[in-house]
Amino acid sequence: MDLAFLPTLPPAVSQLMLFGVLLLCGLAAGEALRRYASLPRITGYVLAGVLLGPQATGLLDSDALFEARLIVDLAIGLVVFELGSRLDFGWLKRNQWLFAAALAEALFCFVGIHVALVYFGFAPLFAATAAAIGTASSPAVVLLVQQELRSEGQLTERMILCSAVNTVFAYVVLALLLPFLYIEEKVDLGTAVLHPMYVFLGAAALGFLASRFLLLAARWFGKNEDRQFVLLVALVVATIGLAHSLKLSVVVALVTFGMLSRNFDSAHVLLPVRFGHGGQIFFVILFLLSGASLEFHAFEVAAAAVVAAYVLVRFLGKAAGLVIFSRLSGITARQAGLLAVSLVPMSGLAVVMVRDTVTLYPTFGRELAAVVLSSVVVLELVGPIATQFALRRAGEASPEA
Amino acid sequence: MSAGAGNEGEFRASAPLSLGVELELQLVKPHDLDLARGAGDLLARLGRRKLPGAVKPEITESMIELNSSVHTSCESLLEELNVLRKAVVEDAGVLNLSVAGGGAHPFHDWADRRIFPNERFVAVVQRYGYLAKQFTVFGQHIHVGCPSGDDAVYLVHMLTRYVPHFIALSAASPFYQGEDTSYQSSRLTAVSAFPLAGHMPFVADWAEFMEYYGKMKSFGIVASMKDFYWDIRPKPEYGTVEIRVCDTPLTVRRAALLAAYAQALAAYYLAERPREPVRSIYLVNAFNRFEAARFGFGGSLIDPYSGEKRHVGDDILAEIARVEPHAARAGSGELLAELAGVVRGGVSDADWLRARHRERGALADVVRDACDKWRTHN
Repeated sequence: MDLAFLPTLPPAVSQLMLFGVLLLCGLAAGEALRRYASLPRITGYVLAGVLLGPQATGLLDSDALFEARLIVDLAIGLVVFELGSRLDFGWLKRNQWLFAAALAEALFCFVGIHVALVYFGFAPLFAATAAAIGTASSPAVVLLVQQELRSEGQLTERMILCSAVNTVFAYVVLALLLPFLYIEEKVDLGTAVLHPMYVFLGAAALGFLASRFLLLAARWFGKNEDRQFVLLVALVVATIGLAHSLKLSVVVALVTFGMLSRNFDSAHVLLPVRFGHGGQIFFVILFLLSGASLEFHAFEVAAAAVVAAYVLVRFLGKAAGLVIFSRLSGITARQAGLLAVSLVPMSGLAVVMVRDTVTLYPTFGRELAAVVLSSVVVLELVGPIATQFALRRAGEASPEA
Repeated sequence: MSAGAGNEGEFRASAPLSLGVELELQLVKPHDLDLARGAGDLLARLGRRKLPGAVKPEITESMIELNSSVHTSCESLLEELNVLRKAVVEDAGVLNLSVAGGGAHPFHDWADRRIFPNERFVAVVQRYGYLAKQFTVFGQHIHVGCPSGDDAVYLVHMLTRYVPHFIALSAASPFYQGEDTSYQSSRLTAVSAFPLAGHMPFVADWAEFMEYYGKMKSFGIVASMKDFYWDIRPKPEYGTVEIRVCDTPLTVRRAALLAAYAQALAAYYLAERPREPVRSIYLVNAFNRFEAARFGFGGSLIDPYSGEKRHVGDDILAEIARVEPHAARAGSGELLAELAGVVRGGVSDADWLRARHRERGALADVVRDACDKWRTHN
């Protein structure tokens, strides 16, 4: 008898099987943490990623991480687009002190970290870069924790707005610093200025074009939530792809896309899109892979004091900016403090930003990269818990969630 | 409108035909046009202003209630409502909230609503369960001053015949849970669900009413007058008769027009006393009420005195003509004429909302238009 029809044992681990197993592990970890420790599900996904990743069991090796990049990009893309669309120009116009508060939050955070790092002996230019990276609050975490807790209210709205503002701020500052970083690497002035301009402004232009297209297409497709959701995903994916091939900043393109789509939809053709059941899959994977990408070995290089300073000053800077403008912008100082706590999460995108910076500018230094990466480890784990705490304390989380 | 400190058997007489209005408003998120949870923050902010009347919370955190002070003229009432309206819209804008009138929110999920954390509302939830959250509907209450308890009882009976008028004139809740209900006012269904909804019993005078109230209290069925969810209710602490059956209109002007009509009717009955109350007022009430809520101006109304059936719209015009002299005397002749114009035009606020839906396609846009209307119309 010819048994060639049987598979070879052990069976090769296919991509699909891996994907399914990941999803299951992440989901289970998230649920376990919520049920037994009352912690946000995101923390579970991250921990699952840590355990499956190269640092621990190694079931998810760097090849697998690389392969899954597409899903990560899509997940981040949807999140960042959503974030952009929550940057409400109308509100900022009606409440200009709120705009001041959001800018102050980002600015004080940036300046604070910068000063702290310079104090610890890092070169000002690199300190500024590390500070810029730290200014952003993870859009994915704030949006997802809000969704999980079904949180609603002033703090929730401002949290999302501030995350949008500080993310844009971070990217703008980085774009402005890039020429100087280039010059450090002894690249000619022309490239030093043109490259960042291209990456940033080109991305903004791409985002603008995508938003025009979305508004036209949405008008044609009509007001149906399902159709508009598919349209949105299609355009987000296409924009990501185009940004990659044109070597533009994906995040800037998508934030611009989201921002302009929502704010210039004067005919109100767009329906508010809820990511619902489909979206959850991407977010489990996103946080799982973030967890797997966390670089624990960075702790070996970075001094604990510096990491502690980075994390602490980051929080204090945000708190200072928000508390100073609290009354004027219409909330109490207590609410402002809780708002700062809710903005503690740091994006896994920071890991990408650091890696890119180090690749282009090796002088950035292993140690500074390690400081940022260590902070990301701390805040990726602590962040969602902080946000959950803040929203609950503020009384904005749904009593049933 | 200060509450009297006297005991509950007392009807605290107030200036006859004085007016007060309460308007329950929707707080909406501009980004998806669903109901927002903004009452607490908005009230805290409004508390810092010096405003006439008052702004109070309602049962769920997506509602606030504007309270006017006591007025004798509708013009001053309208002016004050506009002051309140502008203050609320401005402070809401700072908090990224929009405000709208209308009897109900077209597509909110009642289960998502959160109860406003004060003692009375928490007690209502404990007693009535899901009905409390479903009671996220928005109405206008009109208070008319009465010189005595007996007059109040008389007025409640006589005004009951006009309940279908107030329903049809104010109807602004054609949509419920994302669907067109085909009603002019679907809000009343939420009110009717409560066990103590309905109407005052057919009592002869204040003493008899107090006897009834005393009995209900001794049974433990009610603890205060507030527990009666009637369409028209005497309010002894204010010395008024309270008409509670209107949907919140889409503009303050319409609210003032309704108040003018109520005032003119009260003036007519208290001054002329053209007839005595009859039981058939309550026999035809349920039918008339339904017809008005379902069909508005085109619905049928049975005259309890003559038994004649006519259209609600025609009946309103006839009665407006009848009480017009009293309106003129109170200085609101023009407002009443304007109200008659609305009836002749045949377009209620509910019709307006439906028309917006036909044109725009999505209920979110209908809510947006309602918010714009509230924000811009005096």
